[in-house]
Amino acid sequence: MKFEVLIRDVKFPNPVLAASGTFGFGLEFLTVANRLGGVVTKGLTVKPRAGNPPPRIVETPSGVVNSVGLENPGVAMFKTDILPRLQRLKCPVLVNLAAGSLDEFCELTEILEETPVAGLELNLSCPNVKEGGVAFGQKPQRVAEVTRAVRKRTDKLLVVKLTANFVDPAETAKAAEAAGADAVSLINTLFALVLDQNGRPFLGGRTGGLSGPAIKPFALFCVERVVKAVKIPVIGMGGIRTGQDAFEFISAGAHLVQVGTANLTRPDGAVEVMKGLRRLARIRGWQNWDDVRGKAGEGCFG
Amino acid sequence: MVIQENGPITEIKRLGAEIFSVWIAAARISQKIKPGQFIGVKVSEREDLLLRRPFSVADVNGDKIRIVFRVVGPGTERLARSKNGDNWDIIGPLGKPAPLVRNRNVVICGGGVGVAPLLYLTRVLHKANQVVVLLGARCTPELIMVSDFRRVGVKVQLTTEDGSQGVKGLVTEALAPVLSEMRAPVVYACGPKGMIEALCPLSEKVKVWAFLEERMGCGTGVCYGCAVPKKAGGYLRLCKDGPVVSLDEVVL
Repeated sequence: MKFEVLIRDVKFPNPVLAASGTFGFGLEFLTVANRLGGVVTKGLTVKPRAGNPPPRIVETPSGVVNSVGLENPGVAMFKTDILPRLQRLKCPVLVNLAAGSLDEFCELTEILEETPVAGLELNLSCPNVKEGGVAFGQKPQRVAEVTRAVRKRTDKLLVVKLTANFVDPAETAKAAEAAGADAVSLINTLFALVLDQNGRPFLGGRTGGLSGPAIKPFALFCVERVVKAVKIPVIGMGGIRTGQDAFEFISAGAHLVQVGTANLTRPDGAVEVMKGLRRLARIRGWQNWDDVRGKAGEGCFG
Repeated sequence: MVIQENGPITEIKRLGAEIFSVWIAAARISQKIKPGQFIGVKVSEREDLLLRRPFSVADVNGDKIRIVFRVVGPGTERLARSKNGDNWDIIGPLGKPAPLVRNRNVVICGGGVGVAPLLYLTRVLHKANQVVVLLGARCTPELIMVSDFRRVGVKVQLTTEDGSQGVKGLVTEALAPVLSEMRAPVVYACGPKGMIEALCPLSEKVKVWAFLEERMGCGTGVCYGCAVPKKAGGYLRLCKDGPVVSLDEVVL
Protein backbone atom coordinates (compact mmCIF):
# COMPACT_ATOMS: atom_id res chain seq x y z
CA MET A 1 0.00 0.00 0.00
CA LYS A 2 1.14 3.56 -0.68
CA PHE A 3 1.20 5.51 2.53
CA GLU A 4 1.62 8.97 1.03
CA VAL A 5 -1.04 11.60 1.50
CA LEU A 6 -1.20 14.62 -0.77
CA ILE A 7 -2.80 17.80 0.49
CA ARG A 8 -2.72 20.47 -2.19
CA ASP A 9 0.92 20.42 -3.35
CA VAL A 10 2.44 19.01 -0.15
CA LYS A 11 3.29 15.34 -0.16
CA PHE A 12 3.25 13.74 3.30
CA PRO A 13 5.16 10.43 3.18
CA ASN A 14 2.63 8.92 5.57
CA PRO A 15 -0.41 10.22 7.46
CA VAL A 16 1.14 10.49 10.94
CA LEU A 17 2.50 13.85 12.06
CA ALA A 18 3.98 15.01 15.36
CA ALA A 19 1.69 17.62 16.94
CA SER A 20 2.77 21.09 17.90
CA GLY A 21 4.09 21.53 21.41
CA THR A 22 4.97 17.89 21.89
CA PHE A 23 7.99 17.54 19.63
CA GLY A 24 9.92 20.80 20.08
CA PHE A 25 11.03 22.11 16.70
CA GLY A 26 11.54 18.61 15.35
CA LEU A 27 15.30 18.70 15.87
CA GLU A 28 15.67 16.79 19.13
CA PHE A 29 14.89 13.42 17.56
CA LEU A 30 15.90 13.62 13.91
CA THR A 31 15.77 9.91 13.22
CA VAL A 32 12.23 9.79 14.60
CA ALA A 33 11.18 12.90 12.67
CA ASN A 34 12.49 11.50 9.42
CA ARG A 35 10.16 8.52 9.70
CA LEU A 36 7.06 10.65 10.16
CA GLY A 37 4.59 12.06 7.70
CA GLY A 38 5.46 15.51 8.98
CA VAL A 39 6.32 17.66 11.94
CA VAL A 40 4.31 20.57 13.29
CA THR A 41 6.66 22.82 15.22
CA LYS A 42 6.12 24.38 18.61
CA GLY A 43 3.89 27.46 18.55
CA LEU A 44 5.84 30.45 17.25
CA THR A 45 5.19 34.10 18.09
CA VAL A 46 6.68 37.31 16.70
CA LYS A 47 8.56 38.15 19.90
CA PRO A 48 10.15 35.57 22.21
CA ARG A 49 7.78 34.34 24.90
CA ALA A 50 8.92 33.17 28.33
CA GLY A 51 5.79 31.09 28.87
CA ASN A 52 3.80 30.51 32.05
CA PRO A 53 5.20 30.04 35.56
CA PRO A 54 5.66 26.48 36.87
CA PRO A 55 4.26 24.00 37.56
CA ARG A 56 3.33 23.69 33.91
CA ILE A 57 2.32 20.09 33.57
CA VAL A 58 0.44 17.52 35.60
CA GLU A 59 -0.88 14.05 34.92
CA THR A 60 -4.57 13.26 35.39
CA PRO A 61 -6.32 9.91 34.82
CA SER A 62 -5.53 8.96 31.21
CA GLY A 63 -4.60 12.54 30.45
CA VAL A 64 -2.13 15.35 30.84
CA VAL A 65 -2.94 18.97 31.66
CA ASN A 66 -0.39 21.52 30.53
CA SER A 67 -0.01 25.23 30.94
CA VAL A 68 3.24 25.87 29.07
CA GLY A 69 1.97 29.14 27.63
CA LEU A 70 3.70 29.06 24.24
CA GLU A 71 7.29 29.46 25.42
CA ASN A 72 9.32 29.98 22.25
CA PRO A 73 12.34 31.96 21.03
CA GLY A 74 10.41 34.22 18.62
CA VAL A 75 10.41 34.30 14.85
CA ALA A 76 13.77 36.10 14.39
CA MET A 77 15.66 33.43 16.33
CA PHE A 78 13.60 30.77 14.56
CA LYS A 79 14.79 32.08 11.20
CA THR A 80 18.45 32.42 12.07
CA ASP A 81 18.98 29.51 14.43
CA ILE A 82 16.31 26.87 13.90
CA LEU A 83 15.26 27.11 10.28
CA PRO A 84 18.68 26.24 8.79
CA ARG A 85 18.71 23.07 10.88
CA LEU A 86 15.16 22.17 9.85
CA GLN A 87 16.52 21.46 6.36
CA ARG A 88 17.84 18.21 7.85
CA LEU A 89 14.28 16.94 8.11
CA LYS A 90 13.10 14.83 5.19
CA CYS A 91 9.41 15.23 5.98
CA PRO A 92 7.31 18.37 5.47
CA VAL A 93 7.43 20.91 8.29
CA LEU A 94 4.39 22.93 9.25
CA VAL A 95 5.06 25.92 11.47
CA ASN A 96 2.43 26.48 14.14
CA LEU A 97 1.75 30.23 14.36
CA ALA A 98 0.48 31.77 17.56
CA ALA A 99 -0.37 35.43 17.91
CA GLY A 100 -2.26 37.88 20.07
CA SER A 101 -3.61 39.96 17.20
CA LEU A 102 -4.50 39.83 13.54
CA ASP A 103 -1.49 42.03 12.73
CA GLU A 104 0.85 39.60 14.45
CA PHE A 105 -0.52 36.67 12.46
CA CYS A 106 0.04 38.66 9.28
CA GLU A 107 3.56 39.66 10.31
CA LEU A 108 4.53 36.07 11.10
CA THR A 109 3.11 34.90 7.79
CA GLU A 110 5.01 37.51 5.81
CA ILE A 111 8.28 36.67 7.57
CA LEU A 112 7.86 32.96 6.89
CA GLU A 113 6.57 33.25 3.33
CA GLU A 114 10.04 33.22 1.75
CA THR A 115 11.27 30.33 3.90
CA PRO A 116 11.29 26.70 2.79
CA VAL A 117 8.75 25.44 5.35
CA ALA A 118 5.96 23.45 3.71
CA GLY A 119 3.05 25.08 5.44
CA LEU A 120 1.56 27.06 8.29
CA GLU A 121 -0.80 25.92 11.00
CA LEU A 122 -2.73 28.85 12.49
CA ASN A 123 -3.14 28.23 16.18
CA LEU A 124 -6.57 29.67 16.89
CA SER A 125 -7.10 27.30 19.77
CA CYS A 126 -4.40 27.52 22.44
CA PRO A 127 -6.15 27.59 25.83
CA ASN A 128 -3.05 28.69 27.74
CA VAL A 129 -2.58 32.31 26.72
CA LYS A 130 -4.58 35.37 27.70
CA GLU A 131 -4.62 36.98 24.25
CA GLY A 132 -5.24 35.30 20.92
CA GLY A 133 -5.37 31.53 20.90
CA VAL A 134 -8.72 30.13 21.80
CA ALA A 135 -10.25 33.63 21.94
CA PHE A 136 -9.88 33.79 18.15
CA GLY A 137 -11.07 30.27 17.60
CA GLN A 138 -14.39 30.50 19.38
CA LYS A 139 -16.06 32.87 16.90
CA PRO A 140 -16.54 31.78 13.29
CA GLN A 141 -16.31 35.42 12.20
CA ARG A 142 -12.90 35.86 13.86
CA VAL A 143 -11.66 32.57 12.41
CA ALA A 144 -12.69 33.75 8.95
CA GLU A 145 -11.09 37.14 9.45
CA VAL A 146 -7.70 35.76 10.51
CA THR A 147 -7.72 33.01 7.90
CA ARG A 148 -8.58 35.45 5.11
CA ALA A 149 -5.86 37.90 6.14
CA VAL A 150 -3.23 35.17 6.30
CA ARG A 151 -4.41 33.55 3.07
CA LYS A 152 -3.77 36.84 1.26
CA ARG A 153 -0.16 36.72 2.40
CA THR A 154 0.79 33.13 1.73
CA ASP A 155 0.80 30.54 -1.01
CA LYS A 156 1.92 27.89 1.42
CA LEU A 157 -0.31 25.11 2.66
CA LEU A 158 -2.56 26.81 5.20
CA VAL A 159 -4.02 24.73 8.02
CA VAL A 160 -6.28 26.26 10.67
CA LYS A 161 -6.12 24.57 14.05
CA LEU A 162 -9.54 24.67 15.68
CA THR A 163 -10.73 24.48 19.23
CA ALA A 164 -13.62 22.45 20.58
CA ASN A 165 -13.85 24.55 23.74
CA PHE A 166 -17.39 25.93 24.05
CA VAL A 167 -17.87 26.07 20.30
CA ASP A 168 -19.17 23.85 17.53
CA PRO A 169 -16.03 23.19 15.47
CA ALA A 170 -18.18 22.45 12.42
CA GLU A 171 -19.12 26.15 12.38
CA THR A 172 -15.56 27.45 12.75
CA ALA A 173 -14.32 24.88 10.23
CA LYS A 174 -16.83 26.16 7.67
CA ALA A 175 -15.64 29.70 8.35
CA ALA A 176 -12.02 28.68 7.84
CA GLU A 177 -12.88 26.86 4.61
CA ALA A 178 -14.80 29.82 3.21
CA ALA A 179 -11.87 32.13 4.06
CA GLY A 180 -9.40 30.04 2.08
CA ALA A 181 -7.91 27.46 4.46
CA ASP A 182 -6.48 24.40 2.72
CA ALA A 183 -7.23 22.17 5.71
CA VAL A 184 -8.34 22.30 9.32
CA SER A 185 -6.81 20.46 12.25
CA LEU A 186 -8.58 19.57 15.50
CA ILE A 187 -8.92 19.26 18.38
CA ASN A 188 -6.53 21.27 20.48
CA THR A 189 -6.49 20.61 24.22
CA LEU A 190 -9.64 21.09 26.29
CA PHE A 191 -9.98 23.62 29.10
CA ALA A 192 -9.00 22.02 32.37
CA LEU A 193 -8.54 22.89 36.02
CA VAL A 194 -6.54 20.77 38.44
CA LEU A 195 -6.68 21.52 42.16
CA ASP A 196 -4.21 20.40 44.80
CA GLN A 197 -5.09 18.74 48.11
CA ASN A 198 -5.81 22.17 49.62
CA GLY A 199 -8.16 23.13 46.82
CA ARG A 200 -5.72 25.55 45.22
CA PRO A 201 -5.03 25.57 41.46
CA PHE A 202 -2.12 23.23 40.84
CA LEU A 203 -0.74 24.82 37.69
CA GLY A 204 1.23 28.07 37.67
CA GLY A 205 -1.00 29.33 34.87
CA ARG A 206 -4.03 28.39 37.02
CA THR A 207 -5.89 26.58 34.23
CA GLY A 208 -4.52 24.45 31.43
CA GLY A 209 -5.32 22.24 28.49
CA LEU A 210 -6.24 18.57 28.79
CA SER A 211 -4.80 16.09 26.25
CA GLY A 212 -4.21 12.36 25.99
CA PRO A 213 -6.44 9.28 25.69
CA ALA A 214 -8.99 10.89 28.04
CA ILE A 215 -10.12 13.23 25.23
CA LYS A 216 -10.05 10.75 22.32
CA PRO A 217 -13.75 9.89 22.08
CA PHE A 218 -14.70 13.57 22.10
CA ALA A 219 -11.98 14.42 19.56
CA LEU A 220 -13.20 11.64 17.30
CA PHE A 221 -16.75 12.95 17.54
CA CYS A 222 -15.58 16.45 16.62
CA VAL A 223 -13.49 15.22 13.68
CA GLU A 224 -16.38 13.26 12.21
CA ARG A 225 -18.68 16.23 12.67
CA VAL A 226 -16.25 18.58 10.91
CA VAL A 227 -15.55 16.10 8.09
CA LYS A 228 -19.27 16.14 7.29
CA ALA A 229 -19.38 19.95 7.37
CA VAL A 230 -16.48 20.85 5.04
CA LYS A 231 -14.90 19.68 1.80
CA ILE A 232 -11.30 20.53 2.70
CA PRO A 233 -9.11 17.87 4.34
CA VAL A 234 -9.31 17.43 8.09
CA ILE A 235 -6.32 16.62 10.28
CA GLY A 236 -7.44 14.73 13.36
CA MET A 237 -5.84 14.65 16.76
CA GLY A 238 -6.67 14.02 20.39
CA GLY A 239 -5.35 11.09 22.40
CA ILE A 240 -3.89 9.08 19.52
CA ARG A 241 -1.30 6.62 20.82
CA THR A 242 -1.76 3.46 18.72
CA GLY A 243 -2.27 2.50 15.09
CA GLN A 244 -5.82 1.55 15.98
CA ASP A 245 -6.45 5.08 17.32
CA ALA A 246 -5.09 6.60 14.10
CA PHE A 247 -7.21 4.22 12.03
CA GLU A 248 -10.31 5.37 13.89
CA PHE A 249 -9.62 9.02 13.09
CA ILE A 250 -8.98 8.18 9.43
CA SER A 251 -12.12 6.11 9.20
CA ALA A 252 -13.95 9.11 10.71
CA GLY A 253 -12.71 10.99 7.67
CA ALA A 254 -9.35 12.50 8.64
CA HIS A 255 -6.69 12.75 5.91
CA LEU A 256 -3.85 13.05 8.38
CA VAL A 257 -3.48 12.58 12.11
CA GLN A 258 -1.26 14.28 14.65
CA VAL A 259 0.22 12.55 17.66
CA GLY A 260 0.79 14.72 20.72
CA THR A 261 0.81 13.44 24.28
CA ALA A 262 2.11 10.02 23.20
CA ASN A 263 5.36 11.77 22.21
CA LEU A 264 5.85 12.68 25.85
CA THR A 265 5.62 9.06 26.92
CA ARG A 266 8.21 7.95 24.39
CA PRO A 267 10.16 10.03 21.85
CA ASP A 268 9.20 7.65 19.04
CA GLY A 269 5.52 7.61 20.04
CA ALA A 270 4.37 8.89 16.63
CA VAL A 271 6.52 6.31 14.81
CA GLU A 272 4.87 3.60 16.91
CA VAL A 273 1.48 4.90 15.76
CA MET A 274 2.62 4.71 12.13
CA LYS A 275 3.98 1.21 12.61
CA GLY A 276 0.64 0.13 14.06
CA LEU A 277 -1.18 1.68 11.13
CA ARG A 278 1.09 -0.15 8.65
CA ARG A 279 0.38 -3.40 10.46
CA LEU A 280 -3.35 -2.80 10.22
CA ALA A 281 -3.06 -1.94 6.53
CA ARG A 282 -1.21 -5.19 5.88
CA ILE A 283 -3.60 -7.35 7.89
CA ARG A 284 -6.73 -5.78 6.44
CA GLY A 285 -5.45 -5.54 2.89
CA TRP A 286 -6.03 -1.85 2.30
CA GLN A 287 -4.87 -0.71 -1.14
CA ASN A 288 -5.06 3.01 -0.45
CA TRP A 289 -6.46 5.42 2.10
CA ASP A 290 -9.73 5.72 0.21
CA ASP A 291 -10.45 2.17 1.39
CA VAL A 292 -10.56 3.51 4.91
CA ARG A 293 -11.17 7.24 5.00
CA GLY A 294 -14.65 8.29 5.99
CA LYS A 295 -15.94 4.72 6.20
CA ALA A 296 -16.79 4.84 9.89
CA GLY A 297 -20.12 3.21 10.54
CA GLU A 298 -20.21 1.26 7.31
CA GLY A 299 -19.16 -1.91 9.05
CA CYS A 300 -16.80 -2.78 6.24
CA PHE A 301 -13.92 -3.81 8.45
CA GLY A 302 -15.47 -7.01 9.65
CA MET B 1 20.91 9.99 22.06
CA VAL B 2 18.09 8.64 24.20
CA ILE B 3 18.07 4.86 24.60
CA GLN B 4 14.96 2.82 25.39
CA GLU B 5 15.38 -0.51 27.19
CA ASN B 6 13.17 -3.06 28.89
CA GLY B 7 15.21 -3.81 31.97
CA PRO B 8 14.50 -6.59 34.46
CA ILE B 9 14.67 -5.73 38.14
CA THR B 10 17.50 -7.62 39.77
CA GLU B 11 16.87 -6.39 43.31
CA ILE B 12 14.13 -4.45 45.04
CA LYS B 13 14.57 -3.57 48.68
CA ARG B 14 12.70 -1.45 51.18
CA LEU B 15 15.04 1.07 52.82
CA GLY B 16 12.47 2.84 54.96
CA ALA B 17 8.73 2.98 55.55
CA GLU B 18 8.00 4.28 52.05
CA ILE B 19 11.48 4.31 50.54
CA PHE B 20 12.63 1.71 48.01
CA SER B 21 15.93 0.84 46.35
CA VAL B 22 15.78 -0.86 42.95
CA TRP B 23 18.56 -2.27 40.77
CA ILE B 24 17.60 -2.62 37.09
CA ALA B 25 19.64 -4.42 34.44
CA ALA B 26 19.94 -1.91 31.61
CA ALA B 27 23.21 -2.58 29.82
CA ARG B 28 22.98 0.10 27.16
CA ILE B 29 21.90 2.96 29.39
CA SER B 30 24.23 2.02 32.25
CA GLN B 31 27.24 2.33 29.93
CA LYS B 32 26.38 5.92 29.10
CA ILE B 33 24.72 7.39 32.17
CA LYS B 34 26.73 9.83 34.24
CA PRO B 35 26.22 11.29 37.73
CA GLY B 36 23.44 13.86 37.69
CA GLN B 37 21.57 12.30 34.81
CA PHE B 38 18.26 10.51 35.17
CA ILE B 39 16.04 7.88 33.61
CA GLY B 40 12.34 7.93 32.70
CA VAL B 41 10.36 4.90 33.82
CA LYS B 42 7.07 3.91 32.21
CA VAL B 43 4.93 2.90 35.12
CA SER B 44 2.27 1.00 33.28
CA GLU B 45 1.11 -0.01 29.82
CA ARG B 46 -2.36 0.98 30.89
CA GLU B 47 -3.57 4.43 29.95
CA ASP B 48 -4.40 5.72 33.40
CA LEU B 49 -0.77 6.56 34.18
CA LEU B 50 0.58 8.12 31.01
CA LEU B 51 3.79 9.91 31.74
CA ARG B 52 7.12 8.38 32.60
CA ARG B 53 8.41 9.05 36.09
CA PRO B 54 11.86 10.63 36.28
CA PHE B 55 14.40 9.08 38.68
CA SER B 56 17.97 10.24 39.23
CA VAL B 57 20.52 7.51 39.04
CA ALA B 58 21.71 6.60 42.54
CA ASP B 59 24.46 4.27 41.41
CA VAL B 60 25.77 2.20 38.53
CA ASN B 61 27.40 -1.21 38.73
CA GLY B 62 28.35 -2.84 35.44
CA ASP B 63 25.18 -3.25 33.42
CA LYS B 64 22.92 -2.31 36.33
CA ILE B 65 21.44 1.00 37.42
CA ARG B 66 20.18 1.73 40.90
CA ILE B 67 17.41 4.13 41.75
CA VAL B 68 16.05 5.02 45.17
CA PHE B 69 12.64 6.59 45.55
CA ARG B 70 9.93 7.47 48.02
CA VAL B 71 6.32 6.47 47.33
CA VAL B 72 4.55 9.76 46.72
CA GLY B 73 1.66 8.87 44.40
CA PRO B 74 0.02 6.16 42.30
CA GLY B 75 3.01 5.89 39.94
CA THR B 76 5.67 5.28 42.56
CA GLU B 77 3.20 3.10 44.47
CA ARG B 78 2.84 0.85 41.45
CA LEU B 79 6.62 0.72 40.94
CA ALA B 80 7.10 -0.16 44.60
CA ARG B 81 4.94 -3.25 44.08
CA SER B 82 7.44 -4.62 41.52
CA LYS B 83 9.22 -7.91 42.06
CA ASN B 84 12.57 -9.29 40.98
CA GLY B 85 12.42 -10.16 37.30
CA ASP B 86 9.68 -7.64 36.46
CA ASN B 87 10.61 -5.61 33.39
CA TRP B 88 10.59 -1.86 33.49
CA ASP B 89 10.43 0.17 30.29
CA ILE B 90 13.04 2.88 30.78
CA ILE B 91 14.60 5.63 28.68
CA GLY B 92 17.87 7.38 29.33
CA PRO B 93 20.33 8.86 29.86
CA LEU B 94 18.27 12.03 30.30
CA GLY B 95 19.47 15.47 31.34
CA LYS B 96 22.95 16.88 31.56
CA PRO B 97 25.65 15.22 33.67
CA ALA B 98 26.57 17.12 36.83
CA PRO B 99 29.61 19.36 36.28
CA LEU B 100 32.62 17.67 37.86
CA VAL B 101 35.53 19.43 39.60
CA ARG B 102 39.09 18.24 40.19
CA ASN B 103 41.51 18.85 43.07
CA ARG B 104 38.97 20.74 45.14
CA ASN B 105 37.37 20.54 48.55
CA VAL B 106 33.93 19.13 47.92
CA VAL B 107 30.98 18.94 50.30
CA ILE B 108 28.13 16.63 49.38
CA CYS B 109 24.95 17.68 51.18
CA GLY B 110 21.90 15.46 51.02
CA GLY B 111 18.55 15.54 52.78
CA GLY B 112 15.95 12.78 53.04
CA VAL B 113 15.55 10.65 49.94
CA GLY B 114 17.50 13.37 48.11
CA VAL B 115 20.72 11.70 49.19
CA ALA B 116 20.12 9.07 46.47
CA PRO B 117 21.69 10.71 43.37
CA LEU B 118 24.60 11.94 45.46
CA LEU B 119 26.02 8.44 45.93
CA TYR B 120 27.06 7.92 42.30
CA LEU B 121 28.32 11.50 42.22
CA THR B 122 30.34 10.98 45.40
CA ARG B 123 31.90 7.84 43.96
CA VAL B 124 33.08 9.78 40.89
CA LEU B 125 34.14 12.97 42.70
CA HIS B 126 36.05 11.01 45.35
CA LYS B 127 38.59 9.95 42.72
CA ALA B 128 39.87 13.49 42.16
CA ASN B 129 38.84 15.58 45.18
CA GLN B 130 38.75 15.83 48.98
CA VAL B 131 35.15 14.90 49.70
CA VAL B 132 33.08 15.27 52.86
CA VAL B 133 29.51 13.95 52.89
CA LEU B 134 26.72 15.39 55.07
CA LEU B 135 23.56 13.32 55.22
CA GLY B 136 20.42 14.49 56.98
CA ALA B 137 16.94 13.25 57.68
CA ARG B 138 14.05 13.85 60.04
CA CYS B 139 14.75 10.73 62.08
CA THR B 140 16.91 7.59 62.05
CA PRO B 141 14.52 5.39 60.00
CA GLU B 142 14.65 8.01 57.23
CA LEU B 143 18.43 8.28 57.25
CA ILE B 144 19.18 6.10 54.24
CA MET B 145 22.20 4.79 52.34
CA VAL B 146 24.66 5.73 55.09
CA SER B 147 26.66 2.52 54.72
CA ASP B 148 26.74 2.96 50.92
CA PHE B 149 28.40 6.35 51.33
CA ARG B 150 30.81 5.03 53.98
CA ARG B 151 31.87 2.22 51.64
CA VAL B 152 33.05 4.82 49.13
CA GLY B 153 35.74 5.74 51.64
CA VAL B 154 34.74 9.34 52.31
CA LYS B 155 34.15 11.11 55.60
CA VAL B 156 30.41 10.96 56.40
CA GLN B 157 28.65 13.20 58.94
CA LEU B 158 25.06 12.62 59.97
CA THR B 159 22.31 14.92 61.18
CA THR B 160 18.75 14.19 62.27
CA GLU B 161 16.08 16.71 63.11
CA ASP B 162 15.00 14.72 66.17
CA GLY B 163 18.58 14.09 67.29
CA SER B 164 18.13 10.32 67.17
CA GLN B 165 21.41 9.98 65.27
CA GLY B 166 24.37 12.23 64.54
CA VAL B 167 24.08 15.95 65.23
CA LYS B 168 20.61 17.23 66.09
CA GLY B 169 19.30 19.75 63.56
CA LEU B 170 19.11 20.38 59.86
CA VAL B 171 21.77 19.20 57.45
CA THR B 172 22.10 22.76 56.15
CA GLU B 173 22.99 23.94 59.67
CA ALA B 174 25.81 21.40 59.78
CA LEU B 175 27.19 22.77 56.53
CA ALA B 176 28.55 26.12 57.79
CA PRO B 177 31.15 24.75 60.24
CA VAL B 178 32.37 22.24 57.64
CA LEU B 179 32.78 24.93 55.00
CA SER B 180 34.56 27.31 57.37
CA GLU B 181 37.46 24.87 57.60
CA MET B 182 37.85 24.55 53.82
CA ARG B 183 39.61 26.54 51.14
CA ALA B 184 37.53 27.24 48.00
CA PRO B 185 34.91 24.59 48.62
CA VAL B 186 32.31 23.39 46.13
CA VAL B 187 28.93 22.12 47.33
CA TYR B 188 26.69 19.55 45.62
CA ALA B 189 23.22 19.35 47.16
CA CYS B 190 20.04 17.39 46.78
CA GLY B 191 17.03 17.29 49.03
CA PRO B 192 13.59 18.71 49.71
CA LYS B 193 12.70 22.12 48.34
CA GLY B 194 13.03 23.82 51.73
CA MET B 195 16.55 22.50 52.11
CA ILE B 196 17.61 23.75 48.69
CA GLU B 197 16.01 27.15 49.39
CA ALA B 198 18.01 27.35 52.61
CA LEU B 199 21.19 27.02 50.54
CA CYS B 200 20.37 30.00 48.30
CA PRO B 201 22.14 32.64 50.47
CA LEU B 202 25.23 30.39 50.57
CA SER B 203 25.27 30.17 46.79
CA GLU B 204 26.20 33.85 46.63
CA LYS B 205 29.54 33.07 48.26
CA VAL B 206 30.23 29.43 47.42
CA LYS B 207 29.58 27.45 44.25
CA VAL B 208 26.52 25.30 44.93
CA TRP B 209 25.36 22.75 42.38
CA ALA B 210 21.85 21.63 43.27
CA PHE B 211 19.63 18.85 41.98
CA LEU B 212 16.25 20.49 41.38
CA GLU B 213 12.81 18.96 40.96
CA GLU B 214 9.85 20.14 38.92
CA ARG B 215 6.84 18.39 37.41
CA MET B 216 8.09 16.83 34.22
CA GLY B 217 6.33 15.87 31.00
CA CYS B 218 8.59 14.34 28.38
CA GLY B 219 11.97 14.31 30.16
CA THR B 220 13.60 14.97 26.80
CA GLY B 221 13.21 18.72 26.27
CA VAL B 222 10.38 18.79 23.77
CA CYS B 223 7.36 19.78 25.87
CA TYR B 224 8.79 22.68 27.94
CA GLY B 225 6.85 21.42 30.96
CA CYS B 226 9.55 21.42 33.66
CA ALA B 227 10.34 25.12 33.73
CA VAL B 228 12.47 26.73 36.44
CA PRO B 229 12.80 30.55 36.47
CA LYS B 230 16.27 31.93 35.75
CA LYS B 231 17.64 35.00 37.54
CA ALA B 232 18.56 36.40 34.13
CA GLY B 233 14.94 36.09 32.97
CA GLY B 234 13.05 33.35 31.20
CA TYR B 235 13.12 29.70 32.20
CA LEU B 236 15.38 26.73 31.91
CA ARG B 237 14.07 23.29 31.11
CA LEU B 238 15.05 21.10 34.01
CA CYS B 239 15.06 17.91 31.93
CA LYS B 240 17.39 19.35 29.31
CA ASP B 241 19.35 22.14 31.05
CA GLY B 242 19.40 20.29 34.41
CA PRO B 243 18.50 18.62 36.66
CA VAL B 244 21.76 19.80 38.28
CA VAL B 245 21.94 23.59 38.15
CA SER B 246 24.13 26.29 39.62
CA LEU B 247 21.98 27.61 42.45
CA ASP B 248 22.98 31.24 41.87
CA GLU B 249 21.42 31.16 38.38
CA VAL B 250 17.85 30.26 39.34
CA VAL B 251 14.98 31.73 41.33
CA LEU B 252 13.37 29.32 43.78
